[in-house]
Amino acid sequence: MRVFTGVAVVFAVVMFVFAVFSGFVWYSARGSSESSFAAERDDALRSGQVGITNFLTLDYKKVDEDLQRWLNSSTGDLRAEIDKDKDSRKKQLVDAKSVTTSKVLDAAITELDDRAGTASMIAVVESTVTPDGGQQVTKINRYLTKLTRTDDGWKLSQLGPLRAGV
Amino acid sequence: MAGLNRRTPSSPEAPAVEAVEPVEPIEPIEAAEVVDAAGSAEAAEAVAPDAPEVPDVQEPASEEAELKAPEAVVWNPSPTPKKTPRAAAKAEPVEDPEPKQPAKFNWPLPVALVVVGLLLGGLATFFLVKSRSVSYDEALVDAGATSEVNGQIREAVEKSFSYNFADVESTEKAAKELLTGKALCQYNAVFGPVKEVAPQQKLVVTVRVVSSAVSSLKDGHATVLVFADQVTTRTTDNQTGGGTAMLRVSAVDDGGRWKIDNMEMFGATADQNRQLQGC
Repeated sequence: MRVFTGVAVVFAVVMFVFAVFSGFVWYSARGSSESSFAAERDDALRSGQVGITNFLTLDYKKVDEDLQRWLNSSTGDLRAEIDKDKDSRKKQLVDAKSVTTSKVLDAAITELDDRAGTASMIAVVESTVTPDGGQQVTKINRYLTKLTRTDDGWKLSQLGPLRAGV
Repeated sequence: MAGLNRRTPSSPEAPAVEAVEPVEPIEPIEAAEVVDAAGSAEAAEAVAPDAPEVPDVQEPASEEAELKAPEAVVWNPSPTPKKTPRAAAKAEPVEDPEPKQPAKFNWPLPVALVVVGLLLGGLATFFLVKSRSVSYDEALVDAGATSEVNGQIREAVEKSFSYNFADVESTEKAAKELLTGKALCQYNAVFGPVKEVAPQQKLVVTVRVVSSAVSSLKDGHATVLVFADQVTTRTTDNQTGGGTAMLRVSAVDDGGRWKIDNMEMFGATADQNRQLQGC
């Protein structure tokens, strides 16, 4: 009997130590700066992909909606630029009479400054342009974008194609 | 149920317990000695009710309800004739303080400890599983390893896809050193045609990585997105052509050196894709 009680005590103590240890492991893994940095990176990547898709998708029949989405996905220089030439840009898009849809094939964060809240991302994007009554064309392009963290999440602050010979 | 559980496992010891009871009228002093010997409050509780014979049967019975009362009556006489009261009394008190009390009253303690232990073990396992799922991708998190992968993959792409008709060996050597497995086959599929025409046209192909980023770095495996520019010069007539390439490269850590083991090209021609699929 006493042996059994002793074994039970040892078992309970060992399990207690095990639980405390693994609880600590979990706690420290969850709260570590590394894992929050990784989460920030994934967040920036996701926002960047959505932002690029938004920027490279437009329909001349609903330009107002598209421009508003551009503004919502951007911040800083990029946003100011769009806001400034809103009207001329709108006219240009309506005149072009084309529908563009885009899909990010792959993207990766090249750099991330967690403290400053800035990041850079490169992306491979497949765009399909369908002119009004014309033949649709699919192209694959590469883009470089800068991201800035705002109160409302990561937003695009710069976006441009990476052309050959850059 | 508790009453049932308690009786069944303690049956080997039951005779001992029972044997003492008839002895008590003869030697009540011994029972008192047992209390002294045991010393603990629990022991006192355990043995004290045994001293007055009648309440002995009834006190636990009141706790255990109907189950215990009838059995106690039935059991009492059976061990009595088997063991001589004297021998039992002599033998028992020596061992009594030890096995008797846990047998009768401390069963819940080890059982509770085991249950608590099992619960703690379950909790510990839960924590470990949770902390496993916390494990993150090291890309950019481990800045040193990330830039090492990035640099080595850039170098591998530039060296193995750049080509000078005058120095074929260095390209082939680089490809053999920096590519491995499936990537070697893919490389031959993509680069084979270039190598065929290169000597006649005196081709110089220069590949430069414009931008690249490590998208995943975990457990000795890495994925790198590579944007490259390619400039091809035909030195026979000095014709120059250029192009861009987007590659998703997989790499493995081969003893400190990252080697490319798979390549996927974005925007590759159907022909190229077919060749790559063949690997």
